[in-house]
Amino acid sequence: MNEVNYALKMDFISSDVLKSQSSIEKISMIMEKVKKGEILVIEGGLEPEEEAELIETTMREIDVESFVGIDIYTLEKDEASFFGLSKKKTVGITIIGPANIMKQVKRKSNFISMVASLGDSDASMY
Amino acid sequence: MVDIMQRIFRKKFFRDIFNKLIGKEKKLKIGFYGHPNSGKTTLANRMTKDWTGKSLGLISEIPHETRKVCRQERVTLTYDGVELDFDIIDTPGIATKIDYKNFLEYGLSEQDAKERAKEATKGIIEAIKWLDDVTGVLLVVDSTQDPLTQANITIIGNLEARNIPFVVVANKVDLPESNTGRILSVFPQHRVVGISALKGENVDELYQAMVERFN
Repeated sequence: MNEVNYALKMDFISSDVLKSQSSIEKISMIMEKVKKGEILVIEGGLEPEEEAELIETTMREIDVESFVGIDIYTLEKDEASFFGLSKKKTVGITIIGPANIMKQVKRKSNFISMVASLGDSDASMY
Repeated sequence: MVDIMQRIFRKKFFRDIFNKLIGKEKKLKIGFYGHPNSGKTTLANRMTKDWTGKSLGLISEIPHETRKVCRQERVTLTYDGVELDFDIIDTPGIATKIDYKNFLEYGLSEQDAKERAKEATKGIIEAIKWLDDVTGVLLVVDSTQDPLTQANITIIGNLEARNIPFVVVANKVDLPESNTGRILSVFPQHRVVGISALKGENVDELYQAMVERFN
């Protein structure tokens, strides 16, 4: 009898790794991992242009039978700038994974609760 | 008498706003982005009615849940030698996933649902490319709902990165459960204007904001 694989692989990637990569390299790396069913937790995030590029690439890669796309969630944080006089939002953490696995449960400005659906079992992530 | 004066004054006000928005190029290309049922079509109709005396007359015949996956309407109308281009896109239209099974629920055959899914992926690529050549964007948010969605965050990030001017429209302020303050607190660094597209409340302020931001 074939054994069903309920394991979930998650990669945590530091912002240093992303800084050393070109946009194409980042998107290729993300697509490769996500298409294998992995979830990526990235310190910081992609540039908005890269995020748009990632969406475009995802649309081209979608295969109606086996790959329905990705889910992206970002947690933002306030960052003081201009000698602390003004505040702007920056991305603290980005979570990217296959859309058929990721199920967001709850979201607030500083909190995301997620459930990864793996066949019959569910794994929670906060 | 006062009523007639007010109507003449308002007509002149809309005409002035319109002239300021179209500028020298005689072309106005506005993207209406927002979640399904946030009031984009109502606002687009209100705008053209105020400016040209005619509404766009857009009616959606697609069921709401199907539109959630991808809905896009592009309308061009010419008025007084001016070209008005409106692109009305549900923000989930800038989606990151398309599952053909979502279409099956609406009676489509598996083959048709798969075809529809393929079309939707192309539509999303087009919607992203359309942003490159836009005068400005109105991000229409239902003020009775939580505005903090990933779709809104992605759209705003892209608009900022491309230096595309935009105004966040907190729609449906006429409803008792409306909470414009919540939208202001989520997007403190952006221009937020509360309106009722249905009743025409506060649209003057929105048009002023568009003139300030889009020019």
